Amino acid sequence: MVAIGFVMLAALLAIVILGPVIAPYSPSKTSPGSLAGPSAAHWLGTDSIGRDVLSRLIIGGRGTLLITVVAVAIALAAGLVLGLVSGYVGGRVDQAIMRVLDVVFAFPVFLLAIAVVAALGPTLQNLILTIAIVYTPTLARVVRGPVLSVKRWDHVEAARSVGVGEFAIAIRHVLPLVVSPILVQTSLTLANTIFTVTALSFLGLGPPPPDPNWGSMLAEARQFMELAPLTVIGPAAAIVFASLTFIVLANGLREMLDVGSR
Amino acid sequence: MDDPRALLQVRDLTAQFNRDGVPSRVVNGISFDIAPGEAVGFVGESGCGKSVTARAIMRLAPEGSSVAWGGRILFRGRDLLRIEEREMRDMRGRRIAMVFQDPMTSLNPVMTVGAQIDDMLCRHAGLSRRAARRRTVELLGLVGIRDPALRADDHPHQFSGGMRQRVLIAIAVSCQPDLLIADEPTTALDVTVQAQILRLLMRLGRELGMALMLITHDFGVIAGMVERVYVMHGGDIVESGEVDALFAGPQHPYTRALLAAVPRIETAGRTT
Amino acid sequence: MIRMVAVRLALTLPILLGVSIVAFVLMRALPGDFAQASAGTTAISAEALDTIRRNLGLDQPVWQQYLVWLDGALTGDLGRSFATRQPVTGELLPRLTVTAELTLIAGLMALTMGACTGLASARLRGTTDWAVRGLNSLLLAVPNFVVATLIVLLAGLYFPTVGIFNYVAFASDPLGNIASLLLPALSLALTVSVTISENTRAAVLEVSSQDYVMVARAKGLRAWTILGNYLVRNALTPVITVTGLQLAALLGGSILIETIFTIPGMGQYLFDSIANRDYPAIQAIVLVAATIVLLMNVVVDIAYARVDARVSYD
Repeated sequence: MVAIGFVMLAALLAIVILGPVIAPYSPSKTSPGSLAGPSAAHWLGTDSIGRDVLSRLIIGGRGTLLITVVAVAIALAAGLVLGLVSGYVGGRVDQAIMRVLDVVFAFPVFLLAIAVVAALGPTLQNLILTIAIVYTPTLARVVRGPVLSVKRWDHVEAARSVGVGEFAIAIRHVLPLVVSPILVQTSLTLANTIFTVTALSFLGLGPPPPDPNWGSMLAEARQFMELAPLTVIGPAAAIVFASLTFIVLANGLREMLDVGSR
Repeated sequence: MDDPRALLQVRDLTAQFNRDGVPSRVVNGISFDIAPGEAVGFVGESGCGKSVTARAIMRLAPEGSSVAWGGRILFRGRDLLRIEEREMRDMRGRRIAMVFQDPMTSLNPVMTVGAQIDDMLCRHAGLSRRAARRRTVELLGLVGIRDPALRADDHPHQFSGGMRQRVLIAIAVSCQPDLLIADEPTTALDVTVQAQILRLLMRLGRELGMALMLITHDFGVIAGMVERVYVMHGGDIVESGEVDALFAGPQHPYTRALLAAVPRIETAGRTT
Repeated sequence: MIRMVAVRLALTLPILLGVSIVAFVLMRALPGDFAQASAGTTAISAEALDTIRRNLGLDQPVWQQYLVWLDGALTGDLGRSFATRQPVTGELLPRLTVTAELTLIAGLMALTMGACTGLASARLRGTTDWAVRGLNSLLLAVPNFVVATLIVLLAGLYFPTVGIFNYVAFASDPLGNIASLLLPALSLALTVSVTISENTRAAVLEVSSQDYVMVARAKGLRAWTILGNYLVRNALTPVITVTGLQLAALLGGSILIETIFTIPGMGQYLFDSIANRDYPAIQAIVLVAATIVLLMNVVVDIAYARVDARVSYD
């Protein structure tokens, strides 16, 4: 399971890194035939203004995945800090952090994302920031739970009794034990973020054109989909493949690391 | 060997578990008899195959595992290992009933205790809901629950461990089975409650004319309760006989070791 | 019981307050000027802008503005729409009903599908288990707007006569209304059903290995009785909780799905409001949605206690 996940991830990464090299055309280059079916020149056909669908998928994937990864990285960093501090320090600090996260958690993720992007304007930075904000509480909670139970364990007590500093304890003893649930949750969050990024783009709240993006491609293709179904299937399949990668990875990691046994 | 009087005749019973494709045998071809109304003890430490033997008679495999049984289990002449599941389901509870080890986890937490006796009576005795409830209240009174009519509508979490075991005994005897298997019925209980539960089992066995198969790891429980004893070790019956004879002169070294583990044995034949 | 409800509500109150602050601040932290947006046009005199500011109370300190707004919100007054100049509450309510209905239908669908597949997976094991889990992984990877788009595509290609964009109002034709919401609800329900399915599976497996199920089998009860009274009733509690908690996902998802199927619900209202820079409306939608989610969580807790007698006696 994990192996399949990593193979799929490698494929995704290859597309992201090698994108401009392997894409047959420039994503914005138009050719005479619009909404053409698959041909030797255009494997997946062309879109409504004659751009190569395959090239746009590849370059679009770059954009989609880049936003996803950066946003999740920020959310993960924030979640780690908040979760570790909250679980480790405990008391009033814990209460304060958790209550604030509860508030963010109360909003339907997608609604909050729309509202924030709509308020701040759909720029790349805002998009990344928004997604980082909405997914931070989930990750922080996943970190906090194990930290709470781990910090009272004997070997942590032992380290404390021989005078190891609190910060060193947190990094050396507590962090390694919370790694598996975090890996699994991060993987799931990546899948969710792909959904949120593409959904926002789908609604026109993604990164501004002309950069292609799977979500906006799907939205554009919708208008002509009965004439050229492939223009819809392409981005749809790409979105599914990317989410599936992270879901398979999460399931595999969960089995391998045995998080929550079932 | 083929005593026509026997209620249960077990011949060459084997049980084999299949764990991750590796077969492991836990019962190695044992044979024994239980007569109608007789109380028989099975003694041995955990893992000796005594519980598996009991489950084989009920033909109940633990959830999610596969177990292969061999040999014959003749109950009133019917081979329980070969009858249809349908017929076996009619046997369970109606002819052969079982009391389990842990009363804290053996009752359904979301049903009232009354309902858990009702469903058994409706199933086997064909009683209407109302008639079943009347019988349920009688049964709860029979096993020593005070205010049975009121308590029948309580949930299991409102009962203590000893009271729950009484309820489970009421469930087991509700259809007046011919054979009652009690698998470590007192192990999970307080010492003070243990004797009460054992006495209740004995009394019901006598009053209802049930044969009793009492499974335990503790010779102290057996003493004074049963007529005959089978000592099990490593999937075999290593020794059997009248309980007094066994106490007086154990033949097998394992039996001697088990007896030595009971501190009260010098005062012979008395339970706590 | 009443005590428990009170405690749960009391715990929710501070979060609700936080939610209201976020909803308020979000719209005041806008890059543009609130008053400017209210006016709707850019060509407006400075004096007129000042008048608007005074009328909206924008010359007051921010915390005072918040209190005034909160006071209004508590009495059901969520301000006036910039676009239509009508009270937002009156515009929001009918749309909220539509969204609630869509969410409810989708929730029931997801619960039915999830509970059935999860139960089958746990009880039948083997190939069924394998197939269900595989399918679940795949379904989880298909976002609801992709499902919706594909449904629209397939319907357009193969059933061009079926009008899938024909939303029918409940008042004019109740059955037609429900029928018109089935496909949108399905696209919402698929992903959510996966979570319910996985949780049902885990719960049923957990319950299956409990002693009381062995006792039920030893009682010679029929398979259906054991399934209904012993397995399902005990496995239900965690499943209800999960279903309730998925409400947020359904509510968020319906915003997307409504725009695809052109259903006049809260999602569409949100988009119109964003397009019109109708900030009071956006604010109201965000506040109402979060409040619903929070209250649903309380309801889930209470339902949990109703199903499981042990909880209320703690």
